[in-house]
Amino acid sequence: MTAPSATPLLAIRSLRAAYGKIEALKGVDLAINAGEIVALIGANGAGKSTLMMTVFGRPRARAGQILFDGNDITEVPTHEIARMRIAQSPEGRRIFPRMSVAENLQMGADATDCSESERAAGLERVTALFPRLKERMMQRGGTLSGGEQQMLAIGRALMSRPRLLMLDEPSLGLAPLIARQIFEAIRTLNRQDGLTVLIVEQNANHALRLAHRGYVMVNGLITLEGTGADLLQRPEIRAAYLEGGRHA
Amino acid sequence: MAGVTAAPASRSSAASYAPGAAFIFKKALISALVALVLFSLMIGVRTDAGPDGQLTYWTRFGDLAAMVATVFGGSIVVELLRQWWGPVGTVRIVPPSVQSGLAVARRAIAPLLLVFTFLVPVIFYNERYILDLGILVLTYVMLGWGLNVVVGLAGLLDLGYVAFYAVGAYSYALLATNFGFSFWICLPLAGILAAFCGVLLGFPVLRLRGDYLAIVTLAFGEIIRLVIINWQSLTGGPNGVTGIPRPTLFGIPLTPGDDGLAAMLGIEFSTTHRIVFLFYLILALALLTNWVTIRLRRLPIGRAWEALREDEVACRALGINTTTTKLTAFATGAMFGGLAGAFFATRQGFISPESFTFHESALVLAIVVLGGMGSQLGVALAALVMIGGFELFRGLEQFRMLVFGLAMVLLMIWRPRGLIGHRAPTVFLHHNQAISSDLVKEGHG
Repeated sequence: MTAPSATPLLAIRSLRAAYGKIEALKGVDLAINAGEIVALIGANGAGKSTLMMTVFGRPRARAGQILFDGNDITEVPTHEIARMRIAQSPEGRRIFPRMSVAENLQMGADATDCSESERAAGLERVTALFPRLKERMMQRGGTLSGGEQQMLAIGRALMSRPRLLMLDEPSLGLAPLIARQIFEAIRTLNRQDGLTVLIVEQNANHALRLAHRGYVMVNGLITLEGTGADLLQRPEIRAAYLEGGRHA
Repeated sequence: MAGVTAAPASRSSAASYAPGAAFIFKKALISALVALVLFSLMIGVRTDAGPDGQLTYWTRFGDLAAMVATVFGGSIVVELLRQWWGPVGTVRIVPPSVQSGLAVARRAIAPLLLVFTFLVPVIFYNERYILDLGILVLTYVMLGWGLNVVVGLAGLLDLGYVAFYAVGAYSYALLATNFGFSFWICLPLAGILAAFCGVLLGFPVLRLRGDYLAIVTLAFGEIIRLVIINWQSLTGGPNGVTGIPRPTLFGIPLTPGDDGLAAMLGIEFSTTHRIVFLFYLILALALLTNWVTIRLRRLPIGRAWEALREDEVACRALGINTTTTKLTAFATGAMFGGLAGAFFATRQGFISPESFTFHESALVLAIVVLGGMGSQLGVALAALVMIGGFELFRGLEQFRMLVFGLAMVLLMIWRPRGLIGHRAPTVFLHHNQAISSDLVKEGHG
């Protein structure tokens, strides 16, 4: 694990967010250091995805602060946050189904001010990571299998050369073998390029094995944090997320 | 996918069951009943104004019975045909030679159509009617291509496109009649003013999509028309604007006078010269629209329009400013509408609010949808079929609309994605491997 630097890459301080009257985040504190993989686990409706979306300003934070590389981005418009090279693979993947795989990937780089050669290099990097996408380049995004769509969503996010990659449930609905490939790819990205990753998962076992550190979220609050290996050993985690029991 | 084409889903479902005679009879009976209800007033009863202005009517039950019987019989025939076709199976093998031949034909159709269009004034020089029809078709091709940017690419359903057409037409008409500006100065001005109106419409509808957007744009179209009708001091109200100057060939008028083009070239003057000039003018404008659209599609802004149509949330997460993206789509589409409007004004020499009713918006939208949203060639073909076909059926008189409606329904059954449903990719790698829209459904994994 990399040594934590003085200022974390992403720092979230007592963040609150709500959908109408329903409060989804009730004061969340979280920090991600550069070069780390951080897993955020929790049950359905705990607020994991909301936390990820609030970093992007949808929904807007009601209170609290989001700092990216020391800059306050709490009130910055969504598209400008993306241009600060925070990329996400959103829940449900949200690729562009009628556009080709190549076009989907180009979309990832369009909003950034990268040159043609950087674009080509980015494409090279993505296809090296996911060779399946190379075969499917001219196919329409909607014709891909679920796993390939997930690869495409991650690949699209990588095209902007992100400093922070946020993944929402990358293993959702995938065959275990494909899910393992995806997790393997994330590990490679982190090891080779030092990419910082926040991974939101229900599949706690996989995510915690992959992550340097993990946070457990229950009802809009962080209840536990620790290293991945540490959290995996905790009896309450095992009971709640790994052995099918209910969290008390 | 080599040589194998999947049949439409409807056929495979028909194969799964074989309805008996009772089922067919019941279905035909229901169809006949619907026909009876529909036609009882439409055909069964005729009304007319009597000699003293009172309403007279008479019945035509014989015709009605014949109609209902036709529907009954037709329904049985259709059902039998469906059964006969059904068990053929869901996979059709097309020989590769036929397929490659079709592919060549498909690639050749656009250049051939373009060459033919260029030659129309040469071939039909003495047929004024054909030339006028050609100009009309090209005007709608241009409007279709313009609306295609908004509806086909950006996916913003615009029912008020005629507003921009009107703004363009009135811009030229008023600037030319009041200030004496020439057509070539007014043309870009009309485009700019229409684009400005596009942005004006764009702002309030930024958050709207689909049905809601359609309603607001529909209202916008009506507002512009009502403003034109009621702002009498400027627009002349329902009387319209008359005496709009004809276009000149870069300053050289197409008139019989000594300074006219005919006199300068030393040829005999003919009114056809002006028609031919107008034909090439609208052809050039339409091709400009097409060229700009094709170029934009390959740039990030065009890609952003298409991505916006697919998924707005994902766009924003990728750093696309959806506000400016939508506004540029509205402005670009509106600009082409405005240019077409200016052309319309100079061609007619007279414009009035009657030319800019909702009917026009609906027609242009129908062209875009029938053409296959987003397909340039499809829109051109649809304009040709809609405008040209409408003229073709003129002999059928009151049944023209019926034939037309039927054709549209059939087209939407057989080609639900429009004439050309295939979307051409904009990013190319080593080779271009196109996939027909029939082959793929919008799957989700």
